[in-house]
Amino acid sequence: MSKMTSRHLRRRLLATTAATALLAAGVLVGTAGTANAAAKTGGTLYFITHAEQFDHVDPARVYTGRDIAFFNSYIYRNLVSYKPTAGSAGSSLVADLATNTGVPSNAAKTWTFTLRPGVTWQDGSAVTCADVAYGVSRPFAQDVITDGPQYLVQALDIPKNDDGSSKYAGPYKKTGQALFDKAVSCKGNTITFKLNRSFADFNYALTYPAGAPVKKSKDTGDKYDLKPFANGPYMIESYKIGDEMVLVRNAAWKKSSDSVRTPYADNIVVRFGLAEDVRDQIMLDNSIPNTVNLDGLMPANNRAFFDDPKKANQRMNVYDPYVRYAAMNVAVGHMDCLNVRKAVFFAINTQALIDLSGGSVYYGDPGDSPVKPVLGLDYKKTTGNIHDPAWKITGAPDKAKELLAAAKTACPAAYDRATNPDKGIVWDIAQSSTNQKASVLITEALKLAGIVIKFNFIPSGQYYSTVMNTEKQNDISSAGWGADWANASTVIPELFTKEGGFNLSQNWNDAAYAAFKKKSDAAKVETNRAKQAKAWQELGQYVMDQYWIIRPVFSKGQFQWGSGVGGVYYWEPQGTFGFGQLYVK
Amino acid sequence: MADNAVLEVEDSAQDFAQRTPKQIAWMRFRRNKVGIASAWVAIFFIMAAVLAPIIVRLLGLSNTQTYPETLNEYAMPIGKFGGITLDHPLGVEPGTGRDVLSLLLYGSRISYTVAVITSVTTIGLGMLIGVATGYFRGRVDAIVGRFSDFLLSFPGTFMIIALSLPLVQRVEAMGIAKDNAARIVVLVTFFVFFGWPGFARLIRSQAMSMRERDFVMAAQAMGASSWRIITKELLPNLWPTAIVFLSLSLPGFLSAEAVFSFLGVGVQAPASTFGLVLSDAVGYWRDDPAYLLIPSTMLVIIVLSLNLLGDAIRDALDPKGSR
Amino acid sequence: MLKYLVRRISATLVVLTLISMSVFLIFDVLPMDPARLTCGKACSPAVVEANRHRLGLDVPVQVQYGRWVKGLFVGRTYGEGQAQFTCPAPAFGYSFNRHECVTDLLKSAFPVTLSLAIGAFFLWLFVGVSLGIVAARFKNRWPDRASNVFVLVGTSLPTFISGILILLFVALKFGFVNPIDLGKWVSPLENPIGWINTFIFPWITLALAYAATYTRFTRSNVIETSSEDYIRTARAKGLSEKVILRKHTLRAALAPIVTLAGLDFAGLLGGAIITEGIFNLPGLGRLSIRAVLNDYDLPIIVATTMLAATFLVVMNLLVDILYAYIDPRVRVA
Repeated sequence: MSKMTSRHLRRRLLATTAATALLAAGVLVGTAGTANAAAKTGGTLYFITHAEQFDHVDPARVYTGRDIAFFNSYIYRNLVSYKPTAGSAGSSLVADLATNTGVPSNAAKTWTFTLRPGVTWQDGSAVTCADVAYGVSRPFAQDVITDGPQYLVQALDIPKNDDGSSKYAGPYKKTGQALFDKAVSCKGNTITFKLNRSFADFNYALTYPAGAPVKKSKDTGDKYDLKPFANGPYMIESYKIGDEMVLVRNAAWKKSSDSVRTPYADNIVVRFGLAEDVRDQIMLDNSIPNTVNLDGLMPANNRAFFDDPKKANQRMNVYDPYVRYAAMNVAVGHMDCLNVRKAVFFAINTQALIDLSGGSVYYGDPGDSPVKPVLGLDYKKTTGNIHDPAWKITGAPDKAKELLAAAKTACPAAYDRATNPDKGIVWDIAQSSTNQKASVLITEALKLAGIVIKFNFIPSGQYYSTVMNTEKQNDISSAGWGADWANASTVIPELFTKEGGFNLSQNWNDAAYAAFKKKSDAAKVETNRAKQAKAWQELGQYVMDQYWIIRPVFSKGQFQWGSGVGGVYYWEPQGTFGFGQLYVK
Repeated sequence: MADNAVLEVEDSAQDFAQRTPKQIAWMRFRRNKVGIASAWVAIFFIMAAVLAPIIVRLLGLSNTQTYPETLNEYAMPIGKFGGITLDHPLGVEPGTGRDVLSLLLYGSRISYTVAVITSVTTIGLGMLIGVATGYFRGRVDAIVGRFSDFLLSFPGTFMIIALSLPLVQRVEAMGIAKDNAARIVVLVTFFVFFGWPGFARLIRSQAMSMRERDFVMAAQAMGASSWRIITKELLPNLWPTAIVFLSLSLPGFLSAEAVFSFLGVGVQAPASTFGLVLSDAVGYWRDDPAYLLIPSTMLVIIVLSLNLLGDAIRDALDPKGSR
Repeated sequence: MLKYLVRRISATLVVLTLISMSVFLIFDVLPMDPARLTCGKACSPAVVEANRHRLGLDVPVQVQYGRWVKGLFVGRTYGEGQAQFTCPAPAFGYSFNRHECVTDLLKSAFPVTLSLAIGAFFLWLFVGVSLGIVAARFKNRWPDRASNVFVLVGTSLPTFISGILILLFVALKFGFVNPIDLGKWVSPLENPIGWINTFIFPWITLALAYAATYTRFTRSNVIETSSEDYIRTARAKGLSEKVILRKHTLRAALAPIVTLAGLDFAGLLGGAIITEGIFNLPGLGRLSIRAVLNDYDLPIIVATTMLAATFLVVMNLLVDILYAYIDPRVRVA
């Protein structure tokens, strides 16, 4: 429902081979395929976006799938990368800077990688093991390197302070440097990571550039976020926020040292800050054929683009990695009454919201779990919620009234908040014209059930940092989340435990939390993948039964590019283009 | 031109003999056909806004209700011209299916409220302070002048955007108003706070230059009190400026309200204002041009009538205007 | 005159100092916590504190202000160890969202906004004032009516609509600008044609919104002034209408316009938020609106506010001086 930019959706997701029935409903509308027999070298490739800048460029700080995919394809290389290809094969790991995808030992508590020889930085100097170790050390400088993934900080075997922070303060302050050197060590070309727990899919965590090498003498701290030193096929010539980024070929990069990348274009230019109308106009008119749209289009224009038969080879419509949902703040004084939460859910007219975003073809499907079916193993169709016989896609105000009547006796205070015109439930939502309309549709639907709802519109740039503040969060908050890799361990504990990075339900206030937490903790360290998956399935059901979130949407994303761009495919694990294979026709 | 002027003077002299200035102004105004017509149009729209709840109810509509049956499966209005039918004379809003006529009527209530309160307060304050500083000069002028310089030096638009969100929360917390009412309170306060110095300066400069003129000097020479000079000599001569300013600032604040709604710091859904409707409609110019055309036309007509009315009043009020 | 100047200039400096102080105070008492906004994920109090320290918000407001003023004169140093760097004087602080010294950001944004403001200013002044004069001379005849129509279109359409219409239906539709280069900064010294091409449509958009006010004011002022006694005397002396208009009427009638124009121009120098947004111009308006709406980037907000304030204060001073020069009836006390 809420149209959010990548900035507001965290993390990415890995699709597995186990496609579900939901997914089988025809995902790809159009794709240029991946057979690049016609791939051409040269030319300038343009990217356009309404955003003012990349959220981050520093390898230790990028976190959204699109930015990771972009920079990983062009600028910097990781020890391991996702295979740059379409379909589920794209989710398999390939050795990149390393000669293998990692060797675990000691019950997966120790991981070693051997570096490929002949890899150089843009100044021609060799990429060394020490560079990798230095790169890994940077996220520990928590006051400089913000916003990046925390898997390395959490998992490396370095003692922690009482407040949970690491005793190693990063390479700038150097406090506890010896502790870090013990956890991450170099021997010739081999780097060894010592972890504080069994981490069977640690190499997936290293697909994040937070594990990429950084040349110490080129590290500029906060400013590294503007112009990281390149070891990929391109380097940053200029980057001006709100204006443009220009990438040029990195002369020091050698194809022989890189089995992953195929740089075709001579120049890559990203234009920032285009008004949405202008961006859409460029795509609809095909006025710059060698352009790729980094955003989506506005709903009305989206349909115009997808209805145009001439543009059949310039678009794709796929399930993106995200689940969009409304988190119920179950803290006392908010949505602390199960029946009220249910009443809100049953009263909403989902069909109207689907129509608002241009129809289910573009919107996706009403979901039944915080885990998206593309996660395969960890998803199982739940019971209740949208499978409840009383639920209707156009809203079931009668059922909602029934639930409210039950709430009136069971939790009178919550009932009063929900129905008293002077009080009402407050729903946090990011400021946008689509969300304004969604708010009208929801308000009207809830009115039919006698529920009073108000919307708190927050500037989209401040949305998550505002609602993540437990004091500022209101009763309901719109949100979106995608798994970091194909394991619901990057979804359920993150969203529904107090320690998680994205808990918007404040569900530790709920009586039902203790049992949930116990099971979640157990599942996280379960080494039997099948058993673990079963636990995630059950926990997904548990979340839905508690209505900690309502109306998850298994959403879709639309991508467009100009007629002069070839080699386009959907890179499943990153949820975006496979940037590395794009070429100018 | 000179000949005409002479004729007009003679003409007026006969007609206006032994009439009070107010009667004279009224006479002049009634002769101005464009003025009368625009007055009727302005009154029509203002009455429509005032009586919006009654009109909407008489038409059997509602400004909050959605009419899903008027939308197709993409939530676009069914039928041509933005879904104009007998039931929905100005079509329906794409996406939600609310009735556009009801939205605009209710919306113009909010827009007018903001514009009228702001304009009147701004002009009142600005006039008072402008005349006082322009006439007295010296210490009063220095103090007030520095303070208004101080306010004028704040980039007002930007301050409103930067401060409105936390201030709305403040106003709500203090229990003064809630939701959109709180947003309106903050918006109006800001507009007036940053608006009056500009107008006061304009008035001040005119008062300053008038002070040096014969008729004021004559009054001073005759020993008239400052109060008398301000009320009898200066204010009547400053009215045209105020009227012109009002006739521009009313639509100006209508647009300002629209701009701030567009930037997301003004009134929010489910309410509607010209600003909200127009900023939304811009995104639909390709698929539903009527939805953009109708509110824009309505806004243009309202502004047109207000401006022409302002001109007519100015011509009627200004004792020198038609010489 | 000299005494007057000295007094006004020192008063201006005082006003600027007061403004900088109140800006710091206002943002300090607001219930906004930029440090909290820097970490979106559930961040521990320790991280919030670290961020607060990094942003320099962990000290009382008067200390923050002291550091800011000091930075203006001697520059500021941030970070530690290898991550250390300095913003040289005059330093307005450092933006942790844009990773640049604020002074550098202002330096690159200002030429854009200046170009926008100057062109728009001359366009609207020329169009507005000449239409106003024409309307006054042909009062209640067709040129007057025609200019009135122009005025109405200008005032009634909000910039966010007229701008987008001009962009989509004129600039892009007829290929006047390449959409991929929209708003790209071109130096007028290196490429004057490209510069005009970048800015012409934003100028028209702004001029359309502003010129209307000037047409009306010019018209009403000219009409009013031409009925003044000294003008009638001039006419009685047998001076031609042209000479009267040029030598007497305009001088007096334009005086109030100078005030308005000065303030409008100074206001524009602070940044034109909507126009810069639509035409993708990387100017001060976009810099500041983004700082407010996205990250509450205080160093940028404070700097752009101060810059805009400086323009306004200085322009005020210039206007007053100019005013006395244009309208001989005003005495400089």
